[in-house]
Amino acid sequence: MLEIRNVTKRYDGTTAVDDLSLVVEPGGIYGLLGPNGAGKSTTIRMIMGIIEPDEGEMKLFDSPFSEKVKERIGYLPEERGLYRKMKVLDHLVFLGEIKGVSSNVARERAAEWLERVELSEWADRNVEALSKGMQQKVQFISTILHNPQLVILDEPFTGLDPINTQLLKDIVEEMKDSGRTVVLSTHLMDQVEKLCERICLINKGQKVIEGKLSDIKREFGKNVITIRYSGDRSVLENDSRVVSVRSFGQELSVTLAEGSNPGDIIRLALEHGEVEKFEVGEVSLHDIFIAKVREGEVSGDEDI
Amino acid sequence: MKIFKVAKREYLQRVRKKSFLIVTLLGPVLMAALTLAPVFLLRHTGEQQTGMTVIDMTGNIYTQFSEALSDTLDDGRPIFNLERLAVADSFEFERVKPSLNEQINSGIIDGYLYIPEDVVQEGGATFYGEKVGNIKTVGKIESELNNIIISKRLKEEGMEYSEVKDLFRKTDLKTVQIQKGEERESSFDIIYMTTFIFIMVLYFTILMWGIAVQRSIIEEKNNRVIEVLLSSLRPVDLLGGKILGVGSVGLTQYLIWGLAALLFSLYGISMGGSPAALQAFSLTTMVFFLVYYLLGFLFYATIFAGIGSICNSDQEAQQIQTPVVMCLVFTIIIPIVIIQNPDGAFATVISLIPLFTPTVMFMRINILMPPAWQIGLSILLMLAGIYIMGRLSAKIFRTGILMYGKRPDARELLKWLKRS
Repeated sequence: MLEIRNVTKRYDGTTAVDDLSLVVEPGGIYGLLGPNGAGKSTTIRMIMGIIEPDEGEMKLFDSPFSEKVKERIGYLPEERGLYRKMKVLDHLVFLGEIKGVSSNVARERAAEWLERVELSEWADRNVEALSKGMQQKVQFISTILHNPQLVILDEPFTGLDPINTQLLKDIVEEMKDSGRTVVLSTHLMDQVEKLCERICLINKGQKVIEGKLSDIKREFGKNVITIRYSGDRSVLENDSRVVSVRSFGQELSVTLAEGSNPGDIIRLALEHGEVEKFEVGEVSLHDIFIAKVREGEVSGDEDI
Repeated sequence: MKIFKVAKREYLQRVRKKSFLIVTLLGPVLMAALTLAPVFLLRHTGEQQTGMTVIDMTGNIYTQFSEALSDTLDDGRPIFNLERLAVADSFEFERVKPSLNEQINSGIIDGYLYIPEDVVQEGGATFYGEKVGNIKTVGKIESELNNIIISKRLKEEGMEYSEVKDLFRKTDLKTVQIQKGEERESSFDIIYMTTFIFIMVLYFTILMWGIAVQRSIIEEKNNRVIEVLLSSLRPVDLLGGKILGVGSVGLTQYLIWGLAALLFSLYGISMGGSPAALQAFSLTTMVFFLVYYLLGFLFYATIFAGIGSICNSDQEAQQIQTPVVMCLVFTIIIPIVIIQNPDGAFATVISLIPLFTPTVMFMRINILMPPAWQIGLSILLMLAGIYIMGRLSAKIFRTGILMYGKRPDARELLKWLKRS
């Protein structure tokens, strides 16, 4: 569906995307995750052919980027923008038309979608009369109006209330169910944890981790425990069954050596203090990301 | 073709705007005022009676004078409603003046004429009135008084005015323009005048719609809609569609103006106006007007588009666009300079430079048809200019429309242009 190979993009001395490679298979929801400024939007803009990579190559639908391919993709940019002085329905029709949909079909579909997102009565109003959240829903509709096979959403839920967020999430899930491919880019990792099957975490333009979300979690959860206790962290650090200990605020993330038993560790902890929280396995994407980024920094330091 | 979808949107959005309606409707209103006002003025000034008191100190002019001013209005009333006032001498005249002035002030009379005793010798009389600027009335009084006094002088020399009247016939100087060895029917003044009106309209519309393209690009950059558009369109389709759409708005405006002008002219003629106004709308003029509008608009719009794509605000763009606007201003100044010699070497060279071609060549065609090869060459050069400017602008546009913040400097621009 989508393949990026060794892509690099530099701006005035800073490297926004650094030798990034990733593959999105057809079907399902693919999460492109990372903090602000990680290079997600730059990557997506390169996929959309809006900017060109300095190095590397990209394939969409198994062929190099072409103009024709744009009609098969729906794109919701991070920087939202609509013509303020245009009527909502006319605007949607126009955006549909430039994706190759005939004006009648576009008008029909736009009306249906407006109904779905509860904006029907706004169809003949100017865009500027709409609230930010409403405009965002209009923009969201415009990305899927032409029934694209691949939908790329850059931070689709920012600025939306929980009800509208859920509404759009439902639509995204429906698209997945109907066999489309969705690429979801966001820095709010917990927001998409339940949506994505596969993810790619990037930081500073580089890939941190990529793969099936369940695999990644299992991989991390197997030998990671989270503990909050009153004792000294050095007790855990000096234990031979422990590989490393990192603190996140009041909690410690403890990575166990191969074959160690989490039960042994809680016993050890109880000997040295009060345990308020103890959790095995279930790590959040957020934790994985932070752990991975720290790991990268540590190994980076070691290189020097 | 997506370029037409963009053009269609741009066109409809603009034509539906209130400001378009106002500017477009105001044009014909102004035109109506210009063409119809003289007709109405001529018809209406004559319809009023002028009441005048005559103080004739000579005692023997009034009879002749009142006979000379006995013309009547359409409804049979005399134009001049004269009344004689006898005063003993100039001192008494000074005494009655205030009451006469009061009569003028209260509208009883329109004015009074003082004819001194020595008028035949010295030739001085005075008309007092509120509307001394009324050329028709004052002119009539002056010329009739003049005739009477001349005839009196002639009589003193022993001659009859009626015998020598013919000797005083004025000589009329008629002007006929010879073009290509043939007489041109219409008056040269009207050709000059209408040519300049056309040039002003060319200048104004090219500037207005060129800037409109620029502003629309800046607006799209600012409201970030550009990224959505570029995920569906090639930049060149977006740029081309925009220029096409805005240009068509200009054409629509012309169409409305042209129709209005035609109707008003026909109406003006039916009301007794001169048919010369119609001659200004000859087919040749109209065709070349449209050709040079299109060429000029395309040429300047691509330049303005390039400027728009490297700027983030209208204010910023105003600084950069100044040289371009200056060039446009020159397109109306140059014709004033070269109108004396529209066939000279300077005029010929200037009219072939795409920056100035639209108005200068149009003026030459209207005033003194240049050789066909020059017209052809000017169109070719303009097309070449549009092609080159279009290529350059498209390259700048491609890169510039996604640049927010810092404006690129000349070196960076050069880098963009070198990129394939």
